[in-house]
Amino acid sequence: MEVTTSAGVSRSELEAPAFEEEAIFRPVAGMRRGLVVGSLITGALAGLLFFAWGYQIRNDIGVAGINRPVFWGFYIANFVFWIGISHAGTLISAILRVTSAEWRRPVTRCAEAITVFALTIGGLFPLIHLGRPWLFWFMVPVPNNRGLWPNFRSPLVWDMMAILTYLTGSTLYLLLPMLPDLAILRDRAAAENPLGFRARLYRVLALGWRGTPQQWHSLERGIRVMAVLIIPVAVSVHTIVSWDFAMTLQPMWHSTIFGPYFVVGAIYSGIAVLMVAMYVLRRGLGLEDYLNDRVFNNLGLLFVTFAVIWGYFTFAEHLTVWYGNEPSEMIVFWQRVSGDYAMIFWAMLIFNVVIPLSVLPFQWGRRPLATCLVGLGVLVGMWIERFLIVVGTLRFPRLDFTVGTYQPTWVEVAILVGSFGMFAFMYFLFVQFVPIVSIWEVREGKHLSSHGAERAAPVRRLIGEEA
Amino acid sequence: MTRWGMVIDTDRCTGCGACVVACHAENNIQTVGEDEASKGRAMHWLRIERRYEGVFPDVKVRFMPVLCQHCQEAPCEPVCPVYATYRNPEGLNAMVYSRCIGTRYCANNCPYTVRFFNWHAGEWPEPLDRQLNPDVSVRPVGVMEKCTFCVQRIQDAKSRAKDEERQVRDGEIETACSQSCPARTIVFGDLHDPDSRVSQLARSARAFHLLEDLGTEPSVIYLRGGE
Amino acid sequence: MAGAIAWTHAVFTSPSDAQVALRQLSEAGIVASDIEVRSSVPHEGLHPIGASPRTRVPLMAVLGGLVGGTGAFLLTSLSSLAYPLPTGAMPIVPGPPTGIITFEGLAIGAMLFTASTVLYEGRVLTRPSPPGKLDRYLAAGNIVVSVRCTQAPPPGWASTAIVTESQSAEPSP
Repeated sequence: MEVTTSAGVSRSELEAPAFEEEAIFRPVAGMRRGLVVGSLITGALAGLLFFAWGYQIRNDIGVAGINRPVFWGFYIANFVFWIGISHAGTLISAILRVTSAEWRRPVTRCAEAITVFALTIGGLFPLIHLGRPWLFWFMVPVPNNRGLWPNFRSPLVWDMMAILTYLTGSTLYLLLPMLPDLAILRDRAAAENPLGFRARLYRVLALGWRGTPQQWHSLERGIRVMAVLIIPVAVSVHTIVSWDFAMTLQPMWHSTIFGPYFVVGAIYSGIAVLMVAMYVLRRGLGLEDYLNDRVFNNLGLLFVTFAVIWGYFTFAEHLTVWYGNEPSEMIVFWQRVSGDYAMIFWAMLIFNVVIPLSVLPFQWGRRPLATCLVGLGVLVGMWIERFLIVVGTLRFPRLDFTVGTYQPTWVEVAILVGSFGMFAFMYFLFVQFVPIVSIWEVREGKHLSSHGAERAAPVRRLIGEEA
Repeated sequence: MTRWGMVIDTDRCTGCGACVVACHAENNIQTVGEDEASKGRAMHWLRIERRYEGVFPDVKVRFMPVLCQHCQEAPCEPVCPVYATYRNPEGLNAMVYSRCIGTRYCANNCPYTVRFFNWHAGEWPEPLDRQLNPDVSVRPVGVMEKCTFCVQRIQDAKSRAKDEERQVRDGEIETACSQSCPARTIVFGDLHDPDSRVSQLARSARAFHLLEDLGTEPSVIYLRGGE
Repeated sequence: MAGAIAWTHAVFTSPSDAQVALRQLSEAGIVASDIEVRSSVPHEGLHPIGASPRTRVPLMAVLGGLVGGTGAFLLTSLSSLAYPLPTGAMPIVPGPPTGIITFEGLAIGAMLFTASTVLYEGRVLTRPSPPGKLDRYLAAGNIVVSVRCTQAPPPGWASTAIVTESQSAEPSP
């Protein structure tokens, strides 16, 4: 086997070609203490979720604080919250891909990861809130000898179908573009340490990806099709989740605005989580070159747009209820605005509208730390919104003799805290095995910008001309 | 075709609560205890809603026994993901305990708040277990339950009538609540039989339905109290 | 070396260099099936002359949508008819819910067929190739052009390459 070099290439260049993206490679190149410690701590919190859930299964659902008439409480609020967060990835990856927005390249993978993990956690909550979770399979449409099928009229069955579709789609949308990066890691690990753990791991994970023109062509076309497909799926998922409430006759639930309202709220909370995650990744992994000020600025503009839209929907919903003056709805309304929940209602408006609109429209407000802090506030505000919708209505039924209270127990709080821990734990693990910034997309972006004149215009790519 | 219905004359109701106790006894309803009741988990399939009108000393108290209305267009039925509740051919809103997985969606969609959930399993330590009605199942934890119009008594009467090769007579079936009311407030029978007592009372000028504007078509007719 | 397959590999740093080399190979009469191009970044127009890649992904997406949508529609309507319990005065085969489930079935069918087609067309689910000497160049973003030496490749086709290698082994570097 002869290896020859051309003149002008130095021996050392031959031995170790330069990798520009060192910052991206560093977390996946070997164990790092900070990441391992983080994984252990968040793993313990995730364990708390399962411990509390196990305790609940063993000691009956009654250990939670839900009661009559507040039959749904923290668990459903958390469910809606986590499914809402999962809309981050779709917006960034899919919509920005479809519109060929180049600045999305460093962000796509961390956003798609948020989607998959948030969906997994959100999908646990319908199981957690069941009275008899071991019988959840009654909802699954498989032929059985009892002749039993699920009731497709129920929004919960629509939920199951929609979340299953979205989870499958998001996972594929995360994994397919990951293949070329796993191949890069495989080749790099094979060059450095062919017998090591990472070389063997990535040889398996990268499947048979070789980077041939056929593979690239199929992959790029596949990603584009999936991006177009996953947008309506994402919209339908949170619309269907909102219809869990809107399809009932409960005061302030039976509202036609819930579909679009929840989708907007979901994207809003998704962007908030993305800003927090991006800031943590940027600082923790030294990715300032990739998750740079321009990305934060553009996402910040999207963030403030959704703050305005969310505020508009909230105002429209509350104005309609107030103007209609229907007695059972007004009881719920006044409890929110000036009654038992006034403090958290106004806190929600401050976190979701006042602070974002005072900070984000300005250049200084769209710097990384500022958007991260606003994002944290929005997360709190959006969780309060879900809680107010679920519990605020259920406490005040139409026949007001049965007015209720709701006091969450340690089980519900532990599961909420544990869910955040589980999300962080999955993210910590992910970051240590897969490059959180998509290497091939960033490289492709550099090539496209430096060879701009030779490239086909973006519009032609959308229509899909063969190369 | 039979359509089971009930008339409750609120003018006669004294609020004594005998119907509530009878319902507990007949249907193996668990007594949840003080702690659970303070959390709002008491299980009274039939409850007496008490409203005060006026200011002392001109106070009037109105009593309204509220139970599952067995709506013909029940909002609780389509939202159950596993068909654990449906309308049976005789107009009852049936509850299938073994199918229920405890999503509690039906309870959220009931505008009358008449559905109850087994947050903990009921306990009947010896010798209290001897009070259980053998005709009625004891529900496990995690299952919804509600008034069934004493379907076990309906089934019993129907099977006796079938044995004797006749129709069920009006007044033969008494639900536990109608049987135990000292003021004869509750009347149960076949609404599709124009001669039954319940149909005659239902045609009264004082008749109304609870939350009629929601269009749930309940099978329980209330008679307005007089002055 | 009787019976052994010889491959020559060359590493190029830019797609235009690689395309020049590919054109030289094509002019020398080497068929596209004897040439393999690999890169860690997609480059438009980078493929052996005359063998531009084709994909059936959009067609399969539509097909998958039809299959998934029809399946979901049949599932909803047939299972409702098989188990006709009246609930809340809704029709036995409920219109809008059937539509919703059909939409989700359509979406999941399209997505699964798309992903399967991508994996199939690229032969991605095959045994991974063993590591080779030029892996590090590939990982660093360069382009590797490999030629199976059934006939001698034209001299100088790899003149702009930074590294070349010949081996009498399997096709992958």
